[in-house]
Amino acid sequence: MDYIREKTPPVREDRLGACQAFGGSCCDLASQSKKGCLYNNNRTFSQSQGCQLTLSLAILNTIRDSVIVVHSPIGCGAGMVAQAGTAKDWQKLRDPNAFGLRWINTNLDELDVVNGGEEKLRSAILYADREYRPSAIIVMNSCVPALIGDDIDAVIEDLQKQVSARIVPVHCEGFKTKIQATAYDAVYHGVLRHLVGVELYEGPELIIPDELEELKEKYRISHTVNLLNVSSMSRIDEQELVKLLKSLDLNVRILPCYAHPDDFADSFEAALNVSICATHDDYFSEHMKTKYGIPFILETVPIGIANTSKWLLDIAKFFGIEERAQKLIASEVRELDAALAPYREFLTGKTALLGGGEIRILTTAELLHSLGMEVLGLRGFHFDRYGESLLEQLLEDVPASERAIINIGAGQPFEQANLLAKLKPDVFVGHPGGNGWANKQGIPVFPLFGQTYNYMGYLGAFEVARRLTRLLKNTSYSRNVSRHVGLPYRKDWYDQDPFSYIDQGAADQGVAL
Amino acid sequence: MSKFVERPKYVCALGGAVGTLKVLPRTVPVLHAATGCGGNVALALNQAAGYLGSGYCAGQALSSTNTSEREIVFGGEDRLTEQIANTIKLVDGDLYFVITGCMVEMIGDDIRNSIKKFDSGDVQVIGAETGGFHGNYYKGYEIVLKTLFRDFVEPKAARDSKLVNLWGVVPIQDVFWKGNIALIKDLLNKLGYQVNTFFGDGETLDSLKNSAAATLNIVVSDTFGVEAAQVFEEVHGVPYLTVPFPIGDHGTTSFLRKVGSALGIANPFVEKVIEREQAHYYSYFERLADVYSDLDLQRYTVVVGDSNYTQALTRFLADDLGWLPELVVISDFLTDEQQDTVRSNFTGYESGILPELVFDTDASNVGKYIARHWGQSSGQKYFSGFNPGFIVGSAIERDVAEKLGVPQLTVTYPMSNRVVLDRGYAGYTGALRLTEDLLSVLVGSR
Repeated sequence: MDYIREKTPPVREDRLGACQAFGGSCCDLASQSKKGCLYNNNRTFSQSQGCQLTLSLAILNTIRDSVIVVHSPIGCGAGMVAQAGTAKDWQKLRDPNAFGLRWINTNLDELDVVNGGEEKLRSAILYADREYRPSAIIVMNSCVPALIGDDIDAVIEDLQKQVSARIVPVHCEGFKTKIQATAYDAVYHGVLRHLVGVELYEGPELIIPDELEELKEKYRISHTVNLLNVSSMSRIDEQELVKLLKSLDLNVRILPCYAHPDDFADSFEAALNVSICATHDDYFSEHMKTKYGIPFILETVPIGIANTSKWLLDIAKFFGIEERAQKLIASEVRELDAALAPYREFLTGKTALLGGGEIRILTTAELLHSLGMEVLGLRGFHFDRYGESLLEQLLEDVPASERAIINIGAGQPFEQANLLAKLKPDVFVGHPGGNGWANKQGIPVFPLFGQTYNYMGYLGAFEVARRLTRLLKNTSYSRNVSRHVGLPYRKDWYDQDPFSYIDQGAADQGVAL
Repeated sequence: MSKFVERPKYVCALGGAVGTLKVLPRTVPVLHAATGCGGNVALALNQAAGYLGSGYCAGQALSSTNTSEREIVFGGEDRLTEQIANTIKLVDGDLYFVITGCMVEMIGDDIRNSIKKFDSGDVQVIGAETGGFHGNYYKGYEIVLKTLFRDFVEPKAARDSKLVNLWGVVPIQDVFWKGNIALIKDLLNKLGYQVNTFFGDGETLDSLKNSAAATLNIVVSDTFGVEAAQVFEEVHGVPYLTVPFPIGDHGTTSFLRKVGSALGIANPFVEKVIEREQAHYYSYFERLADVYSDLDLQRYTVVVGDSNYTQALTRFLADDLGWLPELVVISDFLTDEQQDTVRSNFTGYESGILPELVFDTDASNVGKYIARHWGQSSGQKYFSGFNPGFIVGSAIERDVAEKLGVPQLTVTYPMSNRVVLDRGYAGYTGALRLTEDLLSVLVGSR
């Protein structure tokens, strides 16, 4: 993969043929996805979703000692007002002196739409540098300047000579894609072009070469992995994964979330890039391989016992230490199985519908199955070849899962409401931000992730079991709300096919529900 | 010419339109905008306004064309028509209100071409251009109101002399809007008037539709909703009164007198209402007499926020609570004329306090103004600084409060660190809530 010569990255519809509208059974999706025409599907009624600018912020919000300049009218990136408090707390978990979230909006108005907004961008960048003296200034381009033709790269190139911060452009214009995850490519594109690289790395320079030190350094790098974290994981998740990797005697560098801009510079000094989510990292991993020859592991997320073990084994295989990993896994799993026993007893037979990112829901489905629960359906934000391989894995691992319903779409709570009314699961496992609707239907909600909880690794599996049990011990809140508040859809909607508003072209389904 | 804003305390006009419409009863907003506008706004509204929630049909449920590259190139009117038709089919409402984002306006989509196709339907469809580049949240509020007044409110020949309309408490941007509306309505009821509040408890779209029967539009603001009230007068002939948003005895007493005089209510009656309210207010306020001095509950104060809240808070702090709100930072986008009007609300204090008033949109500058106003210690032996200090502002002001080591209470948007349901700070009763909240911060560690 080599897109980083370009100023802007491609969108995922083009790069991966990603699909954003589908409804059918898991079996249908698996077979149709192979035909490769799903990316044409659309909706004739749709509800709000995020754009790649909002999702780019999920990573960019976390970067320490930086200032974000959103080049847009006053509303773009406004969600930062809701995240500033927690962003600061979580940055401080990595560095007690972290500043938290600092941002500027260039406030493009009616005049700028006519005259161009480059001057405002210049003044915002200069202000950011003068006011904060940050290590990086991250400039996010939005729809309006893209349409009026502001050349943010030229502005940045010019200003880079005047300011001490590294200026990182991120091309994340919302209208360009319906696949929000294109955001990750946009962010990594900027990171790869402006923060990673030999030319930026000021390593220790020895006046008199020391062969032993050089050998030590080589050895260290050959045992170093980049653990590519995601903003939807917690510090506790990181600690669990680092603990597992350290048990295999590996050094761990954590990128990109909550990293300092300088942390990227020498990130090419690693033996392996370890991703925990292909949706998040394929663009970065592939480019690090093309440019620096670093191999990567991208198959699965360490969520649930099976996938955590698979993830660890894949890494161990690379370093030729499988046997050691097998021992670690055996001892971890033995201990965990004993601890899970009472929760399995409680959760067995409980049913669930899951919604969120493709990678996360497919692995979480396996986890729920391993706890004795039955997965009635899955709702993924989008679907591409990385979901395809995990789906095949799920179909293999979980008996009867081919009959489970699968619905692809970002949000679209009207489809979810219809599915929940028909499937009536004991619990809905949903992506934070849109979970109120299930609660209002009287279905208790377990958030798919949360930055204050542990989901990953073996400890994560235990925590998920424990929290699910806690949730189901008292479901009064959702029950009470559902008795007194309704959803906005007309009654006859619930008699219709949940996928009535998906235009699947020739490949129409008609799943009986 | 406008400039960039550092940590803005508002979303765009589109956000204001979504926010205003999502809390209007039986109203379904239909968004014609780029993929992402709806989600972006939802995050800022749902999680930074006291955890307001998605409401009836907003948040992720907000109907949206999710316009992307194809429509930007070929035009999105057909897609909008399809979206409106399917929204009506799927979502139960009485009024469907189309609003737009920047991109569809810039490519020249005319929403009226789509809207007019529903003219003969069972439900009403109206719309307005609300793209983010038109301004901030308040602008969106203003545009939505104007459109409602022109296209939805029915003309009325007869006036109901005992009915008034209430505007200017901007839903969601005023995080306590629901409580504040209820409190102000209660005061107006006590003056003997029925009140259409449109966004408050127990309201229906019918009260909005019939609001031209009111005898007066009361705009509780010198800045927000004033243009809309002018449109109302133009179209329906109902006059309007602008009056500062009231918190506490001094602010509310003056509010009641102004409203009473505009409505031609006999003075003694208004004074009687005031007297009764004051008696109730001070029967609680007096409880603090013991600790007010013993715990030294007086503070130098900085007030940061919009033009509605800052003037009300400052008057309450200065004239009711006896604090020293010497510095006020207003973060609105205001014209010079509006700034002059706003300035006039910070004078004539009974306490003699004359706050320094700054208009500045950038959050980082608050700390600089504090340093300028109170001075910075350079280790001198005798020094009087911002101590004991208190910051009343938004959640963003936590940073400067933390840096200066002073307590802070979030009263203005954004508010990610408090949960707000029906709490309100307006009037006499609201000021008691505010007093509880302010002083609880001070005794919190006891």
